[in-house]
Amino acid sequence: MKKLWLAFVLVLFVVGCGTQNENLAKGKELIKSDKRRKEERAVREFKLALQQPTDTAEAHYLLGFYNSQEFYEPNTADWEGASIAERGGQMFLAYKEEPRKYLERLIFETLRDDDLDIQNAALAALKRVYEQGDRKRLISQLQKAIKSGDNRDRHSAHWVFGHLGRDDPATLVPVLVKLLDHRREETRLNAVKALGEIGSEEAIPALAAIIESGSARWKRDREKPEVRQLAVAALGKIGGAAVPELIKIVENKGSSLRVDAIRALATLGDEKVVEPLLNALREQSSRDVPVRLN
Amino acid sequence: MLRKITRLENLCRFAFILPLFALVFGFGCDNRHYDDRLKMEVQQLDSDLMNRWATSGVVVLNTQPNGPAHAAQLETGELISYIVVEYPIGSSGDFNSAMKKAVDEDNNFVLHLKDKPPIRIALRRRGDKVGLTVEGNGTVRVKEIQPGTPAANADIQVGDVIEKIVDERNIYSLSDYKETVGKLAKHNVIFRTSELIGVKIAAVSALGDLGDARAIEPLIDLFKNSREFSLRKAAISSLQHLVELSVLNDLFQEFQKADANELPTNSLQTNQLESASILGLLTVDRVENTVTLEVPFGAQFRHRSGSLYQKINEGQLAELAEQYIQIQVEPEQEIRRACLAILGILKPISAIDGLIAVLENSVEIPGIRFQAGLALSQIGEPAVDALIAAFETEDPSTKDIVASALGGIGGTKARDRLINALETADEPAIRLTLVDAIAKIGDAPSIRALERQRERYQQDTDSGIRIFLDEVFRNLNEKSM
Repeated sequence: MKKLWLAFVLVLFVVGCGTQNENLAKGKELIKSDKRRKEERAVREFKLALQQPTDTAEAHYLLGFYNSQEFYEPNTADWEGASIAERGGQMFLAYKEEPRKYLERLIFETLRDDDLDIQNAALAALKRVYEQGDRKRLISQLQKAIKSGDNRDRHSAHWVFGHLGRDDPATLVPVLVKLLDHRREETRLNAVKALGEIGSEEAIPALAAIIESGSARWKRDREKPEVRQLAVAALGKIGGAAVPELIKIVENKGSSLRVDAIRALATLGDEKVVEPLLNALREQSSRDVPVRLN
Repeated sequence: MLRKITRLENLCRFAFILPLFALVFGFGCDNRHYDDRLKMEVQQLDSDLMNRWATSGVVVLNTQPNGPAHAAQLETGELISYIVVEYPIGSSGDFNSAMKKAVDEDNNFVLHLKDKPPIRIALRRRGDKVGLTVEGNGTVRVKEIQPGTPAANADIQVGDVIEKIVDERNIYSLSDYKETVGKLAKHNVIFRTSELIGVKIAAVSALGDLGDARAIEPLIDLFKNSREFSLRKAAISSLQHLVELSVLNDLFQEFQKADANELPTNSLQTNQLESASILGLLTVDRVENTVTLEVPFGAQFRHRSGSLYQKINEGQLAELAEQYIQIQVEPEQEIRRACLAILGILKPISAIDGLIAVLENSVEIPGIRFQAGLALSQIGEPAVDALIAAFETEDPSTKDIVASALGGIGGTKARDRLINALETADEPAIRLTLVDAIAKIGDAPSIRALERQRERYQQDTDSGIRIFLDEVFRNLNEKSM
């Protein structure tokens, strides 16, 4: 019986070895090595790996990850194929083959990479997931990332939310607004940043509420200064309908955010701002006021 | 049973502690207070405001009409940072009681002696002695000063007449405010308010960026009347920025006439395009041959550009700058520099004499004297006679600056004077400046004059001027190629 089992395992091993994508393995070995132009050579292997019958999801992903326009003569077909959009396309193909695995990898791994091109390729892939893939799952994973204890995940999530939200604020602004109540300050902070980057007027009431919480009667109702400051900056990015809210802050003499609001308004160039600013100049200077207490 | 009783006891204890916690934390969090005595509401300064502006106090939220605070003309938004109380001294008893009250809180007070500036006395810790004994009724004099005490280290002599003791209490929090007002309830006090300079500075800078004509007069007022250097500096920088924006009016009028935010590049002046691009008002695409106003700022500014240009050129600003370039009027060099920059852009002929005076002023910083020369060269032809007159001075620095300015202006008169000066100059340093200035003019007579100099110094291998002339000719050849 024992011998039979051993033979079965051996057969499985042989079959497994036979079906392994050799080019993919070679490419991965190259990446691990310290050989010259290892990434360029690995990319060639990943391209060949795509012609093999197995493991193409990983080959797509790694091609999207490592392919770079620096490897090619400008304006050639290969050079075009290494554009950010094309690299994102390769990552998206990996997602299509194994959605759960690669969605997680894109959000929690690829976006963390230091290389801006890789980050942008991941963003391009996630945009396609949002348009053509499991949108619900993507949003849920981004929520998980923005709530994460790891700053890199929160940052990545806010960045992706910001980009996706520009095209679909109606769906994503409410998601982010809900996150403004999250117990973790850094999560709220990133949600505010994302709302600013989306620039949708739908976020104005929520941001205004955060800002106004600074003068709440009870400390527990007051949002942290850093979050409130960012909410002002977010209103500045939204502009347009946010201008009256910013003017309201400038006019609130007890607010600690007046300077932030003034700076935000200055970048908008709106002439409605001039009068409140002139009023700020007219405010009393330091002085001595005699008062009768008795 | 015993366990049940213990549990009940714990429950009772918990029921007692819980409201206590709620009481402590609840009241501790209240950040507003209605002062019934003064009929006004004050608010604790935000902790972030406190940290960011290194300031403290309570903010006046509102005052009730006809109440004491309203009568004292306290305004909404004012920040009360100190409550000051004065104790007039008419007897030694007054002195002892005032001193006790004054050091009670913060261990320091201000002593006002007759015919002397106020003296701040600070005790190292509570209970330390001030070290003063006084005597007299009506007029209270210093009787004795104990050695090794704060009084002995201050400028106080036996026999000095004590007029009053002033106690300045810093207000850090709402509870400080309540406590201080409660303790001083029987006195007339002074609320010392602090200005949040940061807010005004931000408003001043924003007004400069917005490029709106309505800002000019308030900024001039603030510049003239504020005692705060940082605010005055921000105001003059904003005015300078408005002047820089106003000179782009021709360019923005082209967009306004076409009622468009995009125009072909070749229809516009290149130098103005460069300046506007540096200021972030537009983007130039030479490949597409388009100039696009940046949204929102550039696109909005084109509507304001005309009125800004008109207001800037009414003359008020040039007059102000002419006045504040003088070191006797304005001690802050950064402000004098900004005023010189404004004059260089506005080019008022009326400023020539003032600029010459700055340029000739040996007490002035060399960089500022040079900037005055630059402003004169920006004024151009009308400044040539004044510059030539200034060149007759013996002061080598003045000669140097004037030569540079004349070279910047060019023209026959300036060129002939420079060539003449070069041919008769003895000082090596001034010769270099003259060569540079003549090379800047670069017309045929200038080149001939430089060639004569090159011949003159040809044999002189170690001469700095020969090396410099070689370099000048190399640059001229490169340019002509």
